[in-house]
Amino acid sequence: MKLLKYATYRLLQSIPVLIGISVITFLLANLGPGDPVSLMLQGQEQNEELVRAIEQRYGLNKPLHERYLTYMGGLLEGDLGQSIHYRRPVADLILERVGPTLLLVLSAYAFALVTAIPLGVVAADKRNEPSDHASRVAALIGVSTPSFWIGIVLILIFAVKLEWLPSSGLVYPWRPPSTYRSIDGHLELYYQSLRHLLLPMIALGTLQMATIMRVERTQMIESLQGEYVKLARAYGVPERTILRKHAFQVAQLPIVTIVGANLSTAIGGAVIVETVFNINGMGQLFVDAIQQNDYQLMMGVTMMLGVLFVLGVIVTDISYAYIDPRVTYGESE
Amino acid sequence: MSSEPLLRVENLKTQFFTEEGTVRAVDGISFEVREGEIVGLVGESGAGKSVASMSIMGLVESPGEIVGGEITYKGETLFGLEEGPDGELRERDDMLSSEEIRTRIRGNEIAVIFQDPMESLNPVFTVGGQLREFIELNRGLPEDEARAEAIDMLREVGIPDPEERYDEYPHQFSGGMRQRVLIAMALACEPSLIIADEPTTALDVTVEGQILDLVDDLQEKYGTSFIWVTHDLGVVAEICDRVNVMYLGEIVEKAPVDDLFYDTKHPYTNALLNSIPRPDRTVTELEAIEGVMPEAISPPSGCRFHPRCPDAREVCKRAHPDAKVVADADGEPHEAACVKHDAFDAGYDQSPPLEGTAVDTGSAAVEESESELTANPAGDDSGGETRE
Repeated sequence: MKLLKYATYRLLQSIPVLIGISVITFLLANLGPGDPVSLMLQGQEQNEELVRAIEQRYGLNKPLHERYLTYMGGLLEGDLGQSIHYRRPVADLILERVGPTLLLVLSAYAFALVTAIPLGVVAADKRNEPSDHASRVAALIGVSTPSFWIGIVLILIFAVKLEWLPSSGLVYPWRPPSTYRSIDGHLELYYQSLRHLLLPMIALGTLQMATIMRVERTQMIESLQGEYVKLARAYGVPERTILRKHAFQVAQLPIVTIVGANLSTAIGGAVIVETVFNINGMGQLFVDAIQQNDYQLMMGVTMMLGVLFVLGVIVTDISYAYIDPRVTYGESE
Repeated sequence: MSSEPLLRVENLKTQFFTEEGTVRAVDGISFEVREGEIVGLVGESGAGKSVASMSIMGLVESPGEIVGGEITYKGETLFGLEEGPDGELRERDDMLSSEEIRTRIRGNEIAVIFQDPMESLNPVFTVGGQLREFIELNRGLPEDEARAEAIDMLREVGIPDPEERYDEYPHQFSGGMRQRVLIAMALACEPSLIIADEPTTALDVTVEGQILDLVDDLQEKYGTSFIWVTHDLGVVAEICDRVNVMYLGEIVEKAPVDDLFYDTKHPYTNALLNSIPRPDRTVTELEAIEGVMPEAISPPSGCRFHPRCPDAREVCKRAHPDAKVVADADGEPHEAACVKHDAFDAGYDQSPPLEGTAVDTGSAAVEESESELTANPAGDDSGGETRE
């Protein structure tokens, strides 16, 4: 199968990227300030014997490159080392936390696409009319407002003032919280999950929405001036069909690129939004790792985010080839 | 000659209202298309050929607008103005609404073939799907019949393996093949008139030849009328029955094709003919037309061609000729808009020749539209090439 072959090819291609990420994070984590041993011995009396014993145990006395190779060896077996702060395997922590982050990022994108595409199309259709100007101003505000500020304002309005929505935490649709009575069934769970998700989703998705909306507008305007639109008009195709089908379909190609290219912004934004909304995701884990100087955890989280990003880019490329017939699955010339 | 032509265009005026001023892209042209004939609309780029054809379809894009004239198709009014009670011009009641034009005229009565086959097909839909959509829409066929019809039509225009190629995308077709697809689209909707807007300009010459042969064959088979918009007199000679030559928004000469070539009545047509190689004439050098066509935003006074016309005289700066019958071509009128013909009686023969016209000034060609009177001082040696 072409698709499978292409996916495999792209995955293999991403190996050097991931190795690059691992080298850089490893160096930053190990050469940065702070001493993991003293962290581990917090509150305890330090004696040299103990320090040496710990160094021995974690291999901290070995040269840097050896330590890197050991780390990479563990990585291949799924062992990301031990978190010093949590005193648990890093891999376990990440597995626990990756779900909420993915849920947040994906729903933010869903929110952005569902709102931005129709708005962009309307703005293009009503070009230079009031609704177009309004959307331009909205997009400008959306692009220039930081997500943490949007998050705080949303909390103030919808959680504190109006008390409509919860201000913190997430309810995962795949795992009812222990405080929940399961008799309420799935519907109630999904409803609660959505209520919790709404504000952080908007906070994280606004930037994406504004960007996508502007690109959508530009692309639609360009597409509406295409010769194929002229042809469709000349054959009596209704304007509505031209807008929704003929011009629309062509205009969506760059949107996929934007989604892929902005993935890093979205993941970075998730770290901040998780902090604002007190969501136990990768972002909070990352912040903890940095604050606690937990180098093993830091590396683990960075690697995981790197993998997510690389996967996202691959999915983008594949879907690009899927919706644009002119793009083939990397068939070599 | 049938009594009522298929399409009659009367004194059509289409203007573009731009910030720089009003561009009179089409300025009072009249012509007709009869059943089963191919009518040429010829002229340089910017002469208003495409705007004229888009006006017929009601597809002039903003800021353009039809401001005058009448377009009648099969007895129905596609465009027509009348004077309202307040003295303002308004659209006539019998004029088809834009919705009626879209559903009843575009595609199923008048179809178009555009210039650029590379851009005219939608890149994200299959060729067959696009063809099928237009057939469904314009002939009201259900999907499977439209599909069968589309495949038949692809075969008809000479696309090999139409069943397989039906599901391919435009980028998998060559330029010539795409133009064949566009022709298939036009014919598949079974229109009575096809407007072909420079359909072979983007193709190389061998492909152009094949396409012209194809159109000739299909035209004979289906009896469809064509308006063939082109700047290429060679193409005109090959397929047109009657020809309208346009210059700066006006039709300057109108004749059956043979008469246009062998009994040319307008200096512009003559100049066009002299600028292309012809198998029936041997010349050492082709004569390009001096200068460029002025902007339609500020056309020259009098005859619009006079600044570039080798035959221009003083009178040409003043008198603006409308086309008149100047000769009879086997019962067909041969019209030209040039005062040198007796039919105009404008005193051309007594009028002194213009000084400093394009013929002598070469390099001043670009400014010549303003330089009609304040002609270059004689003896200016800037463009000293003499031509004879």
